[in-house]
Amino acid sequence: MLTVNGLSYRHAGALRPSLLDVDLVLGDGEVLGVIGANDSGKTTLCLVLAGLAPRIVGGTLSGRLSIDGVDAGSLRMHDLPALVGIGFDDPATQLSGVAATVFEEVAFGPANLGVPRDELIDRTANALEALAISHLAERDPARLSGGQQQLVAIASILALRPRHVVLDEPTAQLDPSGTALVGDALERLAGQGVSILVVEHKTDLLARIASRVVALDGGRVVLEGPAKEVLADPALVDLGVAPPSDVRLRRALVTALLDPTQLEGARA
Amino acid sequence: MTDIRVEGLVHVYEGGVRALDGVDLAIGAGERVALIGQNGSGKTTLVRHFDGLLRPTSGRVLVGGVDAAERTVAQLAREVGLVFQDPDRQIFASTVRGEVEFGPRNLGLRGAALRSAVGEALAATGLEKAADLNPYDLGTSRRKLLALASVLAMGTAVVVLDEPTTGQDMRGMAIVEEIVGTVQAAGRTVIAISHDMRFVAERFERIVVMRQGRVVLDGSPSEVFAADHWETLRSTFVEPPLPAILGARLKLGATPTDRALVSALKSRG
Amino acid sequence: MGPLVLVAVAVLAPAIVAGVLRALVRTVVLLALAIAISVVVINVLFFPAGEQVLFRIGPITATAEGLAFALEVVARIVAISGAITLFYLTTTPAELTIDLERRGVPPRLAFVASSSVQTVPTMVDRAVAITAAQRARGLDTEGSIGARLRGIVPIVGPVILGAIGEVEKRTMALEARGFSRPGRRTLLWHPADSPLQRLARWLMVLAIPVFVLARAAGWLG
Repeated sequence: MLTVNGLSYRHAGALRPSLLDVDLVLGDGEVLGVIGANDSGKTTLCLVLAGLAPRIVGGTLSGRLSIDGVDAGSLRMHDLPALVGIGFDDPATQLSGVAATVFEEVAFGPANLGVPRDELIDRTANALEALAISHLAERDPARLSGGQQQLVAIASILALRPRHVVLDEPTAQLDPSGTALVGDALERLAGQGVSILVVEHKTDLLARIASRVVALDGGRVVLEGPAKEVLADPALVDLGVAPPSDVRLRRALVTALLDPTQLEGARA
Repeated sequence: MTDIRVEGLVHVYEGGVRALDGVDLAIGAGERVALIGQNGSGKTTLVRHFDGLLRPTSGRVLVGGVDAAERTVAQLAREVGLVFQDPDRQIFASTVRGEVEFGPRNLGLRGAALRSAVGEALAATGLEKAADLNPYDLGTSRRKLLALASVLAMGTAVVVLDEPTTGQDMRGMAIVEEIVGTVQAAGRTVIAISHDMRFVAERFERIVVMRQGRVVLDGSPSEVFAADHWETLRSTFVEPPLPAILGARLKLGATPTDRALVSALKSRG
Repeated sequence: MGPLVLVAVAVLAPAIVAGVLRALVRTVVLLALAIAISVVVINVLFFPAGEQVLFRIGPITATAEGLAFALEVVARIVAISGAITLFYLTTTPAELTIDLERRGVPPRLAFVASSSVQTVPTMVDRAVAITAAQRARGLDTEGSIGARLRGIVPIVGPVILGAIGEVEKRTMALEARGFSRPGRRTLLWHPADSPLQRLARWLMVLAIPVFVLARAAGWLG
């Protein structure tokens, strides 16, 4: 379980804080969606949760982050990957640059952690299977398409078997089939007790896989609650977030003075 | 007027990948066309033939009636502007304005004409206030808009957009949608590659669906998203927009957009 | 003579066996051509101890000794650049990292060594993508020399800016995958080795002091 209390963070040299007084709980086996306009602090939140801010990127942090009951400040950087995995939206920069094959690339993380060889091979094979990319195992990661690289990046995180996974727009470069693949993999993962925080613009995806959703605006949490409720909240539009297709459609009917329940029968 | 005609286009990459397997397509001047289909179906390969970045292995591409093979990329760039997906693989100027000036300058614009072209492009993408900032001080999604502005300023007869809405929030999306409208209103052709079916169904009058290097469907959103085409769409991993699915289930005919579904429900009474 | 024999034995023969001869020759020519030309020109025309005259251009005398000297220098340059190129063409970054680590080099150092090799193809890929984007904005890469030279900044600029801008992202990604953990990493495989190769390596290392002594003692002329 990841808990955040009164968290505020300012990037080095920035005039205003990127995160202000954020309270958040990410429970085991839960998928938490994070939405908000583009400069609302979503990426910064991911960096803080993974311990990269302020450790690697500098800046000032106040408030508390505790991972499974332990204060994150007391942990060393290299202890974190086994606890909190993080994926970014740019797949190319997540490649290690020293792996000749996708298999080695995915094995890179646990190899760094000194996982014994047999277990290492096992974990890597499982991670590849979870994202249906076992057929890419012998390919050169640098030569894959952006979408394939993103799947490799996510598999690389899974191979670390962290208890918590933070993903910043993991499907940005993926087509609908890739998006669905990632969505399925995340659902399975949550089913195994891993807690997942996923930042996304694709509210349709969140409607499908998230149990709760949090909305950020100007670094603050402005909405929080069960996914269905938050995603149907009319305030989303003011926050610069596109609601899921069914919410949008229902709203169009209501605006035209039609009964939205007519759609219920067709939804099956 | 610049129309684009593609005749029997085949493109095989070094290494043997047959990305285009005989494409025939005609896009008239002033059309708004969306190109959809799974990653790897040939969409990007196709549009790169329009400005000569890629040359046919066989077949030909005619831009404005002239075989593209007879023109250099620099010449074709006067008529066909291509906005790439990754803005960080083109930004080099130290100011936003400087970046937007690059394209029109290459085409020979100077002085008042240049300022006007740049000013309009900045206004259209909401970047006027950021004109003197360093591009890297903008967030990624605004840099995408910058890349779009830098091509808009070139005033080309055809504008090609590669995934213009990925990573954009609602504000960015609204800007892109408005640009598609104003560009076409000015008589220019807009071609967009996209995975966003709502964007495609609502903003484009013609949709071309690709699979494995060929065109498998070509028509209006109503035609393309009609129920009897769903199997073809799904074979190239395209999911019809929600209104189309619900409308078909409620037996309301073709309803590719929210508005169409609402109209159909209203007229049903 | 010496350097050429060395090149034939230690560079060309292995290159043929490894199947990289063409790439090797192309790269070495590219690398060494400019220097070779200037070395030859300067030494042929301005060699001080030259006596056997080849031809004269005004006050400048071209000598045979100069030519001989120049060819010797070029032969050495070819030997060195050939060896470096052969290494680059036959070693993948992964093999290099793993082998260095296996021998006890700290992972970070091994990483620096191999990622500098990996940098080149990555940069080339970037440059290709950037060139396409700039050409699409009217940058002329097929026209006059002047036009092409003007095109350097819009291509080199983003290549470098992008590479630098990526440093922070790449660092974060590495840290997030436990890169800075002290201690040895698990190695998935070892580069193929054989007693013959090991022998060859030892022979090469021992050959260095032998050749140095032989040269100093005047046995090699």
